[in-house]
Amino acid sequence: MSSLFLATALALYLLTTATFVAHVITGHDSLRRSALALLTGGFAMNAAALAVRGFLLGYEALAPFQEGLSIIGCLTVGLYLLIARRSNFTVVGALIAPLAFLFSLSAYAFEAGTRDLPLSAQSIWLPAHVAPAFAGYAIFTVAFCLSLTYLLQERQLKAKRRTDLFRRLPSLETLDTLNYRFVTWGFALFTVGLLTGSLLAKETWGEMWSWEPVQIWSVVTWLLYAVLLQARSVGWRGRRAATLTIVGFAILVASFLSVNLVFPGKHGGNFG
Amino acid sequence: MMQREILALGVNHRRAPVEIRERLALADDVMEDALRRLVDIPRIEEGAIISTCNRVEVLATSSDGDAAIEDLVDFLASTERIERSEITAHLSVFRGREAVRHVFRLASSLDSMVVGEPQILGQLKDAYTNAALAGTARTILHRCFHKSFNVAKRVRTETGVAGKAVSMSSVAVELTGKIFDHLEDKTAMLIGAGNTGELAARHLLARGIHSMIVTNRTHERALELAAEFRGTAVPFAELENYLPLADVVIGSTAADNFILTPAMVHAALQRRKYRLMFLVDMSVPRNFDPAINEIENVYLYDVDDLSGVAEINRDERGREATKAEAIVDEEVDSFCRWLSGLDAVPTIVALRNKAETIRQAELAKTLSSLRNMSESDRAALDAMTNAIVNKLLHAPITQLKQQGRREAIYFVAALRQLFEIEEPDES
Repeated sequence: MSSLFLATALALYLLTTATFVAHVITGHDSLRRSALALLTGGFAMNAAALAVRGFLLGYEALAPFQEGLSIIGCLTVGLYLLIARRSNFTVVGALIAPLAFLFSLSAYAFEAGTRDLPLSAQSIWLPAHVAPAFAGYAIFTVAFCLSLTYLLQERQLKAKRRTDLFRRLPSLETLDTLNYRFVTWGFALFTVGLLTGSLLAKETWGEMWSWEPVQIWSVVTWLLYAVLLQARSVGWRGRRAATLTIVGFAILVASFLSVNLVFPGKHGGNFG
Repeated sequence: MMQREILALGVNHRRAPVEIRERLALADDVMEDALRRLVDIPRIEEGAIISTCNRVEVLATSSDGDAAIEDLVDFLASTERIERSEITAHLSVFRGREAVRHVFRLASSLDSMVVGEPQILGQLKDAYTNAALAGTARTILHRCFHKSFNVAKRVRTETGVAGKAVSMSSVAVELTGKIFDHLEDKTAMLIGAGNTGELAARHLLARGIHSMIVTNRTHERALELAAEFRGTAVPFAELENYLPLADVVIGSTAADNFILTPAMVHAALQRRKYRLMFLVDMSVPRNFDPAINEIENVYLYDVDDLSGVAEINRDERGREATKAEAIVDEEVDSFCRWLSGLDAVPTIVALRNKAETIRQAELAKTLSSLRNMSESDRAALDAMTNAIVNKLLHAPITQLKQQGRREAIYFVAALRQLFEIEEPDES
């Protein structure tokens, strides 16, 4: 049942991507509206898949990697739909939709049967850790897409190119301000996720810090975003802020993949 | 005898980059001298010079077009330190009918960077005023300019070209919207009091920009503009101190050196914590060092860059422009008919024809009421009227034939007007 929903969401995300790209090329407003409708459909299917799966397995049993990616994808799309009312955010959408597709695809490909959560992890700290962390990831994903769009627009303006794409890109200030807001919120949630994560670690592993790969990666990512936010006050805005956001996201993805696939450690091993 | 024709020759934004145009541009104070040197060229009869930031073009009349074109290139090369070959590589030449069409298209803003931008008409009027005051625009150019103003008016009222127009300054404002989200908390700085810059400032005000700083070498002018824009005038020497306040900087001075250097902008940027800056250089020669565009978070556009953006909008006006071209064609035909009639011979023929027609008509009227006249009386009457007409016309026709070619056209033009001689068909 949930697979069916997820497959439908996948198809819709793929269609959305194609429609957004077609809109960016041709500029037809009907394509923009279709893309948003398709994306909303994909979002609903994605959420339905998660709800069904959570209902069947118990919500606390949603695995960080398989369902985790799907949850992050779903949240990312939801966030985008919130800001998408601006007509010139279609380029951002054209980046969000394929990412949502990839997230859901890996969730689909790795979808496992039911599994049992170790009793030790069944703590109130688990949702308190997972919820803000996933929300943070989703926000950073949108920030990443905003930053890519920023760099695209910045290059167009510097090179004085006059493509149709240029007309459909939002202003630098819009992107930069929104990016700043997203990174701030993402950072706040990420910080909460980190703190509750260490409390969870204390409860399940016996100590708050145990040099787990996920802990090291997370702290590195946290530091980078902290620097990004701090540096803004001394003038690291615009292109540099966008570049740092992209680097931060790359580290985030690298840590997520390595923790869950390459070096599962206790974190991935226990939950994945 | 070779045909007298109008020549339009020079560099414009279509074929010549701003680096060439800025070296040829003529300031107002040297214009009169340049015009005199222009008509001192033996093969050139009348002359006018159009010098704007998008074009430097010479308008002239000559009866020896081929040689005159060479003279005019030499003339352009002599006004500034520039190689002749550099000019010829970017030169646009229009002759005769095409030259007339070119002037009419200019006036109608069909050749502007942004089609429909009305600014060029004012610049053309300035060029005409300069040439008229210097006495270098006479019968032909006088009429050519006036006709072009009429054509512009027709195009403006009969087509949508001007209605849909986006001027270079509004292109600048459009770009501001690609950098800044809103203008309500932004400050603009206007350096210099050039027309285009002033226009851009007006657009920014209309879009709700928060405040305007104005500076100019002549402080009084800055005060005037500041009062008009409800802005603040600052002394030109203080420019650097106020630069960090400006989110948008518009340069529009007549200076022939760089007023803003990368170092100055960099210093300003540091003081404003690298918040984005948009610099628009609306002057030719350019006022802002092009290297400024290399600085992070700073975007510099000069007139050529603006034209690039303007091109996006050009297609949308294609249909209206086609209508305008048809009007131009019509007017070119009519002007060329008039011009070809300025030769003495067809005028003499036309004058004689007109007189003969009148004589015949009056004679017929008289003879119809005098039925009992003999054949010989009729012949005498015919001979007498013929003699009167011939004697009356003898002096003006002799005068016309005796005048040198250069002066004859003024008599021809006067004669045509005095005797209300129709413009001949173009055949």
